[in-house]
Amino acid sequence: MDFRRQQRRVIKSEPDKYAELYPHDLQLYKIPPDGIISLDEFQDFAYERLQVLRIIEMVNIREKGSKDGLEELRRSVLSELKKFPELKSYAKLICATGCNSSEADVALRRRDHISHFILRLAHCRTEDLRRWFINREMELFRLRWFSLSNEGKKKFLQINGLDYKPISDAERLQLTGASRGMVSSNYEYYQVPFIEVIDLVRKRNVFLKGGYAFITSNDFISVIIYVYRAFLAHELVVTCRKLPQIEAMDERVFRDLNHLPKSYTGKDFTVVDDKAHVPIESLDSLSKTSYPMCMQHMHNTLRKEHHLRHGGRQLYGLFLKAIGVTLDDALRFWREEFTQKPEIDHDKFDKQYAYNIRHNYGKEGKRANYTPHSCMKIITESLGTQDQHGCPFKHWDANKLKSSLLQQNIQQIDVQEIMDLVKDGHYQLACTKHFEAKHNGVAPDGGVNHPNQYFEQSQAVLRGKQDNIKKETPRVKPVAKASTSVKKKKVDEDVWDDADFDNIEF
Amino acid sequence: MSDYDPGQLPDLLPIYYKRLFPFELFCKWLDYGGVKNGYFRNREFSFTLPEDIVVRYQSFISASEFEEEIKRRCPHKIDIGAVFNTSPKSYRHVTLLVPEEKELVLDIDMTDYDEVRTCCQGADVCARCWRFMAIAVQVLDQALRDDFGWLHLLWVFSGRRGVHCWVCDASARQMDQKQRSAVAEYLQVVVGGESQGKKVNLPGDRRAVEIIETQFETLVEEQDFFGSETKVQSLLAAVKDEGLCNEIKKALDKCPATSKHRWKEVVAVIAYQKSRGQLKWRTKNIKEELILQYAYPRLDINVSKGLNHLLKAPFCVHPKTGKICIPFNPKVVNNFSLTAVPTISSLINEIQEYDEKQDSVLNSEARQKMKDYKKTSMNKNITVFSEFLRKLEDTWRGKMIEISDEKMEF
Ligand code: SF4
Ligand SMILES: [Zn+2]
Repeated sequence: MDFRRQQRRVIKSEPDKYAELYPHDLQLYKIPPDGIISLDEFQDFAYERLQVLRIIEMVNIREKGSKDGLEELRRSVLSELKKFPELKSYAKLICATGCNSSEADVALRRRDHISHFILRLAHCRTEDLRRWFINREMELFRLRWFSLSNEGKKKFLQINGLDYKPISDAERLQLTGASRGMVSSNYEYYQVPFIEVIDLVRKRNVFLKGGYAFITSNDFISVIIYVYRAFLAHELVVTCRKLPQIEAMDERVFRDLNHLPKSYTGKDFTVVDDKAHVPIESLDSLSKTSYPMCMQHMHNTLRKEHHLRHGGRQLYGLFLKAIGVTLDDALRFWREEFTQKPEIDHDKFDKQYAYNIRHNYGKEGKRANYTPHSCMKIITESLGTQDQHGCPFKHWDANKLKSSLLQQNIQQIDVQEIMDLVKDGHYQLACTKHFEAKHNGVAPDGGVNHPNQYFEQSQAVLRGKQDNIKKETPRVKPVAKASTSVKKKKVDEDVWDDADFDNIEF
Repeated sequence: MSDYDPGQLPDLLPIYYKRLFPFELFCKWLDYGGVKNGYFRNREFSFTLPEDIVVRYQSFISASEFEEEIKRRCPHKIDIGAVFNTSPKSYRHVTLLVPEEKELVLDIDMTDYDEVRTCCQGADVCARCWRFMAIAVQVLDQALRDDFGWLHLLWVFSGRRGVHCWVCDASARQMDQKQRSAVAEYLQVVVGGESQGKKVNLPGDRRAVEIIETQFETLVEEQDFFGSETKVQSLLAAVKDEGLCNEIKKALDKCPATSKHRWKEVVAVIAYQKSRGQLKWRTKNIKEELILQYAYPRLDINVSKGLNHLLKAPFCVHPKTGKICIPFNPKVVNNFSLTAVPTISSLINEIQEYDEKQDSVLNSEARQKMKDYKKTSMNKNITVFSEFLRKLEDTWRGKMIEISDEKMEF
């Protein structure tokens, strides 16, 4: 987008031109918008889209663990959007089916276009912002694709030059045999490099041969998302580089932009400075009163076996950091347990394990401050066969889960309710129920979506501060207050990136 | 074979690096024909020195510098890391150091089979559990080739109780973290932590079932998979479906209590239920799922996911066993014998013996010209490595022609 003053001439609305520019409800935002908008509009556009993205994020977190598909997700998003009258246009966009272009539709598409570009400017500065923005835009895009009619989808592919040719019948016949039934003769198949559909590859939901994936038209969305994601990631980096030039053009605009991202800081569990120091001597009792089950299991396993595998150490270590265990205490805690194993002496501990603990506290390697894992991350992780960690509601056999719940003196009736939720794939709701059962029916605000949130709210309840929890700002409203604390670098995905001596074979 | 004693390692390593380590081929491999500038120079190596001191972020401007340094410092272990955007050694403290490329690596370790193997636990391995490894190599080798279309796979014995695979095709080396983890998870069919009984849900890997099935009964017997009450319990946990479990229990009560008979019985029950149309949607693939759960390769996928994960280099000496991390041919992995893997001391003996024997026959000049490893049993492993390299070379020859063509364009 160009903000040069000389371009700030009044241009009359040009319906014809726009109809041509925006032939479809869905777009890939390849070209920046031109023309003029007022500063007020600029702000409104930005806030609206931001709010929509935040709502999608929230709903996604809430429902990630559940098995219900996109339809359910869309319904939840729409019902959240309804709570904000100003977001009606987005509800409409999310339900749009394709290329029926009334004048109102075209205006809406333009709003979509412009707001996307404003948020690009606001989210290009750091890796974290970029990642957040890209992920949200992908989720939004997926929802919207889902709403398109078949005709709408076809048109979209055409407009964007993504219309693939299906493979021939002869080829398909050959694949049907080679794929041991994965390729069926009832559909048309398209051949794409496997790298373009890694989500399908990950789940083994696609037939691969010689580096190619054979997909049906239902899987096109995976390819589009791949292309779109790569494109957007690239564009954001480019925008970031150009930022100083753009900024120089209009200060007012950028004052607002810089506030935008801060308005959704949500809850950042990385920073521990403001938290009370938790002595490790209290962990045994805290684990009984205030830990979610994933962490209880980590704690008990560690106490029992004096060892945790890498995934568990990572998960529990970061959790402890975020509840306020200091680095020195953490080293002591792990050392005391691990060295009870005959094959690990202090020296071995220091060589093999201490590094990673310091690393998690940002004292080694990249010196990044690692974030404790959220429920979504824990629930969606795929576990190795001997891994002890994970979300009990998701990863445990029903019998084991049930007997563990009963051992915690949870009422039979609550246990049954939890088991039912689990059966339907509502893991986080099950965990929420677990919280309630253990806190005299007090529900955690907004459901459980992070083990550390579980812990904090439990502590608050136990300290009799129920009122405070309820008053916490609702998650979706943009909070305009500028925070002065410098946000520390969050690293979530590449925990494996650094030296990980425990995993080097010896 | 002469016995290896870890105490001798400091005395043997200098000889090994001086006379046996195949520097030339090794560096040729990691240079990839010089197609990309700085591919060797920007590669991270990590050395483990005596007393378990690990020095990371080593890098070398040339093959000869690499060779000199290794000979000088005699590392107990060499790890290979990623290719960075710049030289890791000079910029190790700069935050701008980013890993850009690396071979896709697979790591299979016998300890990850502790839950299913019964002959050994932990660091131990024997010929019987090695069968798991052989299966893993066959299954993965085929998946990497057929499914992903990769051709340049270097399979290496990890020195003690596992194997590594280095996938060296350019398209594999260029993958980012997300893509690596997708591939790794694709190859991880057995999932679910220790608190979950049933760990395979088809559609898994049907081709793997075919590969495993032929050796499964042998495996069942060797490993005595179902020989005790607890083992039968975990079998039932893996079946999960209550109705089918009851049928199986009934049948097992009547049959001899050996693994072999029990497995036959299980297969028969499943077949019978199937023929009566009694298998539900959830259990219709149960036999295949059981086979996979008991024998499918168990990868340490975290090693594969990271772009910046270190992995022990081929031709290293394992400090505890003295065994060499030798490349082997996956096609004949069934013939791989753990006890035949050369150790550093056996190799050095072999050179001496050879020299003594040949002293009378060849003149010393001719003998000196001969590469020392040719005098040893490691020679065939080096041949495997050269063969791998020869095929790899064809790819960069093609690449160099492309590049020079581009330069000529007008
Ligand atoms: S829902 Fe979240 S907090 Fe609760 S057990 Fe699972 S991962 Fe832990
Ligand atoms: Zn064994």
